Amino acid sequence: MKHVGLFRVAVGIAVATTLLGQRQESLPVKLPDGPAKPGFDIKRFSNLGNGWFQTFYPKKYESLRKALDRGKVSATTRLLVLETAAGRLALINDQMVFHHIAQGKAGGKDWMATF
Amino acid sequence: MHHFNNVGLYDALFVMQDTESQTLWNHLTGDAEYGPMVGRTLGPPKNLLQMNVKQALEQNKKTKVAISERAYMVDGKVIGDVSAPRGKMGVGSVPSESGRMGEAFIKTLGAEDARRPRMEIGLGIWTTKSRRFYPISTIRDRGRAFIDQIDGRSTLIYIDAETNTPAALFVDAKAARLEGNIVRMDDGSSVRDGVLINAKGASKPNSPRPDQMFTRWYGFALTFPGAEVVASK
Repeated sequence: MKHVGLFRVAVGIAVATTLLGQRQESLPVKLPDGPAKPGFDIKRFSNLGNGWFQTFYPKKYESLRKALDRGKVSATTRLLVLETAAGRLALINDQMVFHHIAQGKAGGKDWMATF
Repeated sequence: MHHFNNVGLYDALFVMQDTESQTLWNHLTGDAEYGPMVGRTLGPPKNLLQMNVKQALEQNKKTKVAISERAYMVDGKVIGDVSAPRGKMGVGSVPSESGRMGEAFIKTLGAEDARRPRMEIGLGIWTTKSRRFYPISTIRDRGRAFIDQIDGRSTLIYIDAETNTPAALFVDAKAARLEGNIVRMDDGSSVRDGVLINAKGASKPNSPRPDQMFTRWYGFALTFPGAEVVASK
């Protein structure tokens, strides 16, 4: 697997704590037989939240300026912004609270954002 | 391209799994933690910047946006498919300072660093030499904007007035103060809408930043054990 442009932020856990408390069932996780990275204890892994979030695979990128003009966002809409091989790309913060992961390709290179 | 999903928790942080190899991955470091891809990394990870639309366009007018079908709020109006689950509307990413961690999360924690409260929020910064945590209270106590030295490099630590999130920028100044929504520095430069503006008034929208994350203490301390904590002066 090639390296991807990985962008991440860690604050989502606060909201996730609330959301996870509201749901009932987590799907089982099919785990490989290892190996583990030194220090990683698989006994502490929990499947809590598995199946509740859907990774976002963008089908198109549009101009943020036009999205503002069309009322799809407002000046105060919160974004998560990354630098792809094709330039700056914004994701809607409130949507990423649910997706947690977004993956795509821009300028011929893979990128992934985690929240 | 491998395809990733959040499949659970470890150290009370989300864990990703790729569907192709079923390896578990750390979403902060990008390292493979368990499975056939151990030894590999997705990184090096880069900063995912938090800002609002006004700031994003101020920094780069050509910014693109990718919008999914999930519903979200714009000025009190729902945009998107309302049948799909919605995020925590209007709240965005500023976490509660008095958050409490549930038992299911606690069970996944490793040995915690008790120097700070588990759920305290702050700005974590790391370089090849340094790992440093600035509690939000420290940044407030120091006027919401100040200069620190990281690996001998002047670094502005501040709370962005628009988004109320902490951030760091490499600068040339020795002192900083907040005036309204603008950070002013003693070399004549300033930061407005997250953009560094030099003493001559020229914008430097892509000025360098250290690796950083707005995070809770437990997450930073477990990811970067032994991190230095910057206290209020």
